[in-house]
Amino acid sequence: MLNRRKMLQGVAAGAGAAFGLSLNPQRLLASSTGQSTPKRIIFFMQNQGFDPQTCIPEGMKQSGSLAKAKLPEPISALEPYKERLHIINGLHGMHTSPSHSAFFGALGGYRGSDGVPPSAPTIDYELSKILPQTLLPHLCIGMDSLGNMKSKPTIATLSASGAGQPIFMHSNPNHLYQMLYGGISSGDIRLQFEARSNLLDQVEQLAAAEGKSLSKLDHQRYGQYVQGFKDVNGLRDRLNTVADHLRKFAPKVDERYTHPEFETDWHDVNLELGISALTSGITNTLTIASGRGEIFGSWKGLGVEKQGHDLGHMGQPDNPIWIKIRQYNSRMLVRIMESLESVPEGSGTMMDHTLIVYTSNNADKQHTNGANWPVMLLGNLDGAFKTGCFTQLDGKRPINSLYTALLRAAGKNVDRFNMNEKMARKFDSGTGPLKEVLT
Amino acid sequence: MSKAQLILVLTLCVGLFSVVQAQTYTPGQTVDRDFKGFAHKFLNTHCIDCHGGSDPEGSLSLEDLGPVDEVNAAVWKSVWAQVALGEMPPKDVSEVEVVQRLQFSDWIVHQLSQEMEDKGGFNAHRDPNKGNYLDHDLLFGPLPEGIKLAPTSSPARIWRVTPQEHITRLNELINKEPEFDPEKPGLRTHGDVVPTNHGGELKLYFGTDRITKWVGGTVAYATAVKSVPAVLSSDRKHGLENYPEFYTVNSSEATQILGKAEDIIKYMVDGPLSLVGMPEQITDDPATYDRVKPRGDLRGLPTAITYSTEIARPLTPVYDLMKEEGVTDERLCAAVDYLFEALTFRPASKEESDEYITIVRQSIEKLGKEDGVVLGLSSIFLDRDALFRPELVENGKPDRHGRVMLQDWELGLAVNHALRYVKPDEELRKAIIEGRMRTREDVRREVERMLADDSIRKPRILRFFRDYFDYDLGGYICKDTNSLTETGINTRFVQHHYRAMFDATASTDRLVELILQEDKDVLKQLLTTDKVVAYPTDNVYFGSKLNKAERQALAIKAKKAAEAQAKKEEAKIAELEQKVDDLDSQLKANPQEKETQRELERAEKTLAAEKKRVAAAKRQRSSDNSSIAEAKFSGPEIYARVSRRSFGSHGSFSNGSMKPERVLGTASEGQRLGILTHPSWLVSHSDAMDNHAILRGRWIRERLLGGGVPDVPVTVDAMLPDEPHNTLRERMRVTKENYCWTCHQKMDPLGLPFEMYNHAGLFRTSELDKPVDTTGEIINSGDPTLDGPVDNAIDMIQKLAESERTEQVFVRHAFRFWMGRNETLNDAPLLQEAYCAYKDSGGSMKALLTSLLTSDTFLFRTKN
Repeated sequence: MLNRRKMLQGVAAGAGAAFGLSLNPQRLLASSTGQSTPKRIIFFMQNQGFDPQTCIPEGMKQSGSLAKAKLPEPISALEPYKERLHIINGLHGMHTSPSHSAFFGALGGYRGSDGVPPSAPTIDYELSKILPQTLLPHLCIGMDSLGNMKSKPTIATLSASGAGQPIFMHSNPNHLYQMLYGGISSGDIRLQFEARSNLLDQVEQLAAAEGKSLSKLDHQRYGQYVQGFKDVNGLRDRLNTVADHLRKFAPKVDERYTHPEFETDWHDVNLELGISALTSGITNTLTIASGRGEIFGSWKGLGVEKQGHDLGHMGQPDNPIWIKIRQYNSRMLVRIMESLESVPEGSGTMMDHTLIVYTSNNADKQHTNGANWPVMLLGNLDGAFKTGCFTQLDGKRPINSLYTALLRAAGKNVDRFNMNEKMARKFDSGTGPLKEVLT
Repeated sequence: MSKAQLILVLTLCVGLFSVVQAQTYTPGQTVDRDFKGFAHKFLNTHCIDCHGGSDPEGSLSLEDLGPVDEVNAAVWKSVWAQVALGEMPPKDVSEVEVVQRLQFSDWIVHQLSQEMEDKGGFNAHRDPNKGNYLDHDLLFGPLPEGIKLAPTSSPARIWRVTPQEHITRLNELINKEPEFDPEKPGLRTHGDVVPTNHGGELKLYFGTDRITKWVGGTVAYATAVKSVPAVLSSDRKHGLENYPEFYTVNSSEATQILGKAEDIIKYMVDGPLSLVGMPEQITDDPATYDRVKPRGDLRGLPTAITYSTEIARPLTPVYDLMKEEGVTDERLCAAVDYLFEALTFRPASKEESDEYITIVRQSIEKLGKEDGVVLGLSSIFLDRDALFRPELVENGKPDRHGRVMLQDWELGLAVNHALRYVKPDEELRKAIIEGRMRTREDVRREVERMLADDSIRKPRILRFFRDYFDYDLGGYICKDTNSLTETGINTRFVQHHYRAMFDATASTDRLVELILQEDKDVLKQLLTTDKVVAYPTDNVYFGSKLNKAERQALAIKAKKAAEAQAKKEEAKIAELEQKVDDLDSQLKANPQEKETQRELERAEKTLAAEKKRVAAAKRQRSSDNSSIAEAKFSGPEIYARVSRRSFGSHGSFSNGSMKPERVLGTASEGQRLGILTHPSWLVSHSDAMDNHAILRGRWIRERLLGGGVPDVPVTVDAMLPDEPHNTLRERMRVTKENYCWTCHQKMDPLGLPFEMYNHAGLFRTSELDKPVDTTGEIINSGDPTLDGPVDNAIDMIQKLAESERTEQVFVRHAFRFWMGRNETLNDAPLLQEAYCAYKDSGGSMKALLTSLLTSDTFLFRTKN
């Protein structure tokens, strides 16, 4: 049976129509006055694999501090942030069938492949449910070629709220802006927002009128449908009440939204929107999919003329193309950190209560069996995670163990995530969270 | 007085008491009794003796169990299950009258429903998997004295449409499906459900029927084409999965539908032009696009595809509205009305029409015509009746039992929904409009007409068989690669296994349809047919895994043959090389000889081709599977229903989209018998590393024998030991512990006979290099003639297929599927009638369906 929170999570995740249980505008304030400290987690999933050689400092074979190490060129932008960085090598995802992409399996820790529907919720969705609640619990943004982002502005390949329940990611920044900041927008976005608001108001009225003669049991079930519209419309009103607050964080709409020269213009503004959703306190979980979980993708704005599948066929180490893409990712990570650092929260900044998980939706390379799945963590989520180090694992613990650690740090006391004991016997040499990452 | 005497006296007392009560007992009536005077007494009399004291049975003490409340609800639920199933009190300890048992379990359900109303509700008794908690013999045997049945009906209700229905409904708006071809039945046809794609995902595809060319391989195609996944969720892992009360539409789904609606409307207006990056992509000569297309690698991009200029989508009033200048009332009204009926399957009332016209007008005012129409019309996709199907009987008059008969559109759509996923055909529509859908005879007329016409596709019937057999889950069972390799399946490309399973599902679908076509002894045929709808991969999956000695013998034979073949090939290449050398020398001696030059070139080409062929043959030999004996199927060519092209048709790492071509072959005698021995069913009832004997046994117990199995107690760690060197049967010894065996004896001995197959569905005679043990036993089936040991699955299936009880249980499941609820004792006469219809007609599904769909339960609704 659906409960209210589950339903709210669903709507926010699916449509981005943001609302939540505590529809108190105060919760939007970056410096929460509430009792629970706000926390947030960001997943950054680059497609085509994440080769360990592009992130492990040269000569570093054993676990140890990064203090004296020099980060490789592809992630050199993170050098000033290395005390916050944790590079993990030697997790595995063999059970996720990552050939080209593990799709939902990458964040789900289960078998995924092209055309295979999700078989359980993914970790980002699960975290969004248990982290201190925000108006929009989960936001997914996807970056691809301009053509794909225009013709398919929302697709679902990585995140899911349950078996057979994919969560869509947003790629058209104009739509995303309307969704997040329609109430304070102007011009065409404003008109679209108003038209849509009017339509949803009327749909709510029609839906409510049609539910009057139902039996008690049906009324409850149908009531959830009607309530969904009430919440969507109610949220809009509540967002209006904190419009002044949102204005401080909402990015400025410029030519890059309406007339992008390259796809990277949209990548950049989507990232800005994602960051603003975090800094304004609208969301607690952001999933960024560079390449949108598939095996294509385009970065012409970086001077990378090749695109798509061929990028995956190339080796990544010392490859000028992949250095550019990874450097671009790293600069994005820096932007996220700098932005969160600039917002005071509690006795520190937002970044103090944040964790960024950077990895790929396809383990270490395009044609892989998932035996190695490198990950970088940035931040420590209120001191829960070790930082400033490199950890070499033995390849016997699955990515699920890292996800279990995330759940533990977020407050959910579980021993496994999406892996039953039978599978664990085969794919996990241990039990419980990946202790090497937790303080 | 001894304990036994005390029990006897108390039982007699309660027995007398119950007879008095039984005179007034009608199933379903609220048992208006309090805890102390009724339930407490029952517990004291029948339960506390064992479930009390310092060492209660199963560590469950009921001594202090008070009235039902939130805290003890789980215990009461367990008591309900045990009492309803007749498991407790044990017959040899305490006898409980039937009426008393029914009243007590009704009382618990009532109390739990009330107590849990605002705490998530109590719905276990509505779960189709618990439908068998009602004793089969009560439904089909003589009724005990004192039970008075009430006239039956179903509650007034709304059904949410299923994901399959929804996608099929949306597909009608943008794709034209081919008309039924009697020469090629089985091919995907208008009115069939939209099948899942190559990966098992249910998706709506845009414009794939017009694609003439694309850049790249298989994955590039899958990425570049536009498709949207099913939005409505279905979280049950099968069995009967569509009772009305299961689902709603959550707000996430509603808002996603709105987004998809806009895409659909744009496609209805502009066709593939709404998908492309450049208008030049719409061309009948892809070369013209090649001249202007963007430079660089287009694989996976919308610009990688060209579409033909032929209009393949339906052109509707929505198209007419947008193609004309301005917005006239007439055009707008036509578009709204068209879309409303296409989505809700009934015409809009004047009020409904006006409401949506107003919404569209307001959107146009804000956004202009193009965007305004698209946004405004998308609201119709969220109309209640586009997502739910009402059976509310708001206009009918109750009979003396308070029941109201469905009529007109509600009745017409109920009949339509019983068989179809698309809107009513013209004849049914006319009957509804003309007031000829109001009586039982009206329903019989329409049902018989539709059942008799093959061109009217009836995917709901096939859906029932999927739900009943659960044979379509194989592609979703994640397999451990090493374990899969051990079954004999080639796992070089493990994704081919999953594709093979989706192909197997399509094949079994077709086999079911062939048996339905004959319409004789349908269940028996399904259980015992020797026919196989075979795809090429079935040669492996229907094959047999060789034992050690056979493997060794085959390997030696294969090695010898390979060596002999290799020698021949070497000799041939040596001969060709010699010829090249000779010609080369000849040419060097006489460089002017043009003919020699040409001959040399030809010889070099021949040599290169031969080398290539030999290398391929060598690779093939090395990958030949020497651990299995393949089945060889031959027979008439037939077709199975598969998805539109969802994956490219060529490429280095895929076979491309699924293909409909099959043959109707015959299975090896002694190895296979009916659907339960087909890989589609076997793999659907397996797990990552092995067979799932418990699940298979449970299926037999519930779906064929009509027995019930209580939920696994939360205190049970339901794990078999991890012993790779022991067989599944050996590892299942743990279920024979006393505490477990009470339930497991209902399942394990029925599932273990299927050990004659490995977990990919291959027949086997050995397991871990020892002869495989395939014995089992039918225990306490309810039909004493069935009980007893069985040698293997085939032996067991033959017995079950002859059983009247099995057919009756099948009818019970058909009842649940088409009525959307569990049967009650009040439905006993209807069930008996339906069974007679089936039996008297020689096992006709059509007769069974006609009986069910003209029954009171189907036709009448009761409000609250």
